[in-house]
Amino acid sequence: MKHLKVVFILAAVIGLSACQSKVEYGDATEVETVNENFGSTDLQAIAAKMVDSMLTFPPVVAMTANDRPIIFVDKIKNKTSEHIDTESVTDSISNKLLRSGKFRFIDMTKVDSVRKQLDYQNNSGMVDPSTAINFGRQIGAQYMLYGNLSSIVKQDGSTKDVYYKMTMRLMDLETGLIEWSDEKEIRKVKSKSFLGL
Amino acid sequence: MRSFLLLATMMLSLSGCAFNSIFINYPSQIAPVKAQLNSATPQNAAKIVADEISGADGLLYAQEAGRSAQIAGDFTSSKQYYQQAVAAYSAFDDKAKVSLSDAGATASSLFLNDNVIPYRGPGYERIMLHQYQALNYLFAGDPQGALVEVRRSNELQSQEQARYQKSNKSVQAMANGTIDAEMNKLGKAAGSTTSSFLNAYSYYTTGMLHEILGEPNDAFIDYRKAAQISPNNPYLQKDLVRLAKELSMPQYDEFKKRWGDAVEPTKDQGQMIIMLERGFVPEKQSFTVPFTIEGNWQTASLATYYPNRQPVRQGQIQGLGTVLKTAPIADIDALAITALKEELPAALVRQAARIYAKAEMAQSVESETKKRRNQTDYASIAMQIFNVVTEQADRRSWLTLPEQAQIARSYVKPGSYSLMLDNNPADPIEVKSGRTTLVWIIDTGNYTRFYSIII
Repeated sequence: MKHLKVVFILAAVIGLSACQSKVEYGDATEVETVNENFGSTDLQAIAAKMVDSMLTFPPVVAMTANDRPIIFVDKIKNKTSEHIDTESVTDSISNKLLRSGKFRFIDMTKVDSVRKQLDYQNNSGMVDPSTAINFGRQIGAQYMLYGNLSSIVKQDGSTKDVYYKMTMRLMDLETGLIEWSDEKEIRKVKSKSFLGL
Repeated sequence: MRSFLLLATMMLSLSGCAFNSIFINYPSQIAPVKAQLNSATPQNAAKIVADEISGADGLLYAQEAGRSAQIAGDFTSSKQYYQQAVAAYSAFDDKAKVSLSDAGATASSLFLNDNVIPYRGPGYERIMLHQYQALNYLFAGDPQGALVEVRRSNELQSQEQARYQKSNKSVQAMANGTIDAEMNKLGKAAGSTTSSFLNAYSYYTTGMLHEILGEPNDAFIDYRKAAQISPNNPYLQKDLVRLAKELSMPQYDEFKKRWGDAVEPTKDQGQMIIMLERGFVPEKQSFTVPFTIEGNWQTASLATYYPNRQPVRQGQIQGLGTVLKTAPIADIDALAITALKEELPAALVRQAARIYAKAEMAQSVESETKKRRNQTDYASIAMQIFNVVTEQADRRSWLTLPEQAQIARSYVKPGSYSLMLDNNPADPIEVKSGRTTLVWIIDTGNYTRFYSIII
């Protein structure tokens, strides 16, 4: 009888400990393979490759030798079959480029807020006119950074193959010339497990 | 004692599933939803089934809830419901080849019925899910999201095409005696053309979205596939000629010869595209055959469709000057019938195994002594009743889908138009020069709803 009790308690302890969910901190740059969808590792790989390629490309090096060119980042077009936050990809890239100290950026997503603020400073009558920032003093961008993210997905029975290609280009807005361009390819293959729940 | 235990476990296992389609047939569960959708207050229809999304058949209820919200014009919550269905489908995709939960479900289907197997829709339902989700994104003002859904649906379409080529052979190869008779009946109801395997409406919708969102080349590919399935639709033919000319495709001359030269809008005209969805897809019916095995009563129940298909009326759109007649692009009911036909062989195998399992159960509780003494064998009677009551055909399918989809397209001068579908008026719909106005009309029988967006 006593044995039975011990066995019962042990079983209960084992059973309960397995049911407990837990939260842990992980490394943000760790390789993530939860599923085959576009994930943090892909984003990091794309940003790293693009920034590295751009900063080491000889004409770009020459361009940034004596000057900090002004860039505006156009949206990256999502041509995949997944809902991906491409703004997050461009944020990572522009962040890294800006931190390199070689470029300056114009944030087109905030133009409306800026306009509202300037409107308030100049037209509301609430702000001392001598401190108000005038319209038409901002500096125009010289270059445009843009890109495409496309994917090819193939599936057959137990295998799923996902191929991503990110293409990025830097265009001189004055001449229309492409000053730099590169692509990053990512391939992921998922095979189903044979036995599972 | 043994029989008592067996019955007790059975009762326990059954009490847990009283609320899903194991005992209450699925069409009668959805009937109140359809009634609401066909009334002046469709807003609450989705909520009727929303609670069931967490259950075993969550996929199906999520589809129904999403479609119900969409019919009611609530595209935001429809999007959320559909997302749950998409997640359920990808969970199925990620399952292991030999899945313990699948095996468990199949095993319990041997003692109860096929409704215990979690619902996994046929291919056309999954494609339509993404097609409708694309429209949700579009009407919520997110064209890029809409294109993502369109591409997903394209991927699934090509998978389905490959499967269709295989299954065409396998469906024929499985043919024998009884299956044959039933399949022939279904075959007659569905028609045996490709239009009952592949969905021209999905191809047309994805093509149309490609076109109005600035990807005419992709649109041309989808329109061509749609035209292969549904070759007689005049609007589709015109679209093909026009795009072939615009993209200077080599097929232009051939198309021009067959369907006449391209009709293009003049400079100030705007385009109006009309998608009309009519009725509700028919419900699966069950046919039940009672018989006895060694003196014990048993039944076999299978799902089927009644062969009497009513023709769907062609839509007449007034208010654009001339009367615009919509032309059918796809019969969703034919797709549903073909999907059932494809499922039938596997369902019959399970049915045979179930008859065997239930006959064994009935025999195991039978008491020889009671039989000899001519006493009433309550255990045996209870088991027979259990066997007959639990034998329910699997009548689950996405029931809020339309019966037929029709399309029309016209070039009109910019301005505000008061459209009427068969004398059902809509709020004024605006057309702008050089832009496209997409009008989505859902006719549920008593009520017609118009949704429009300018792109």
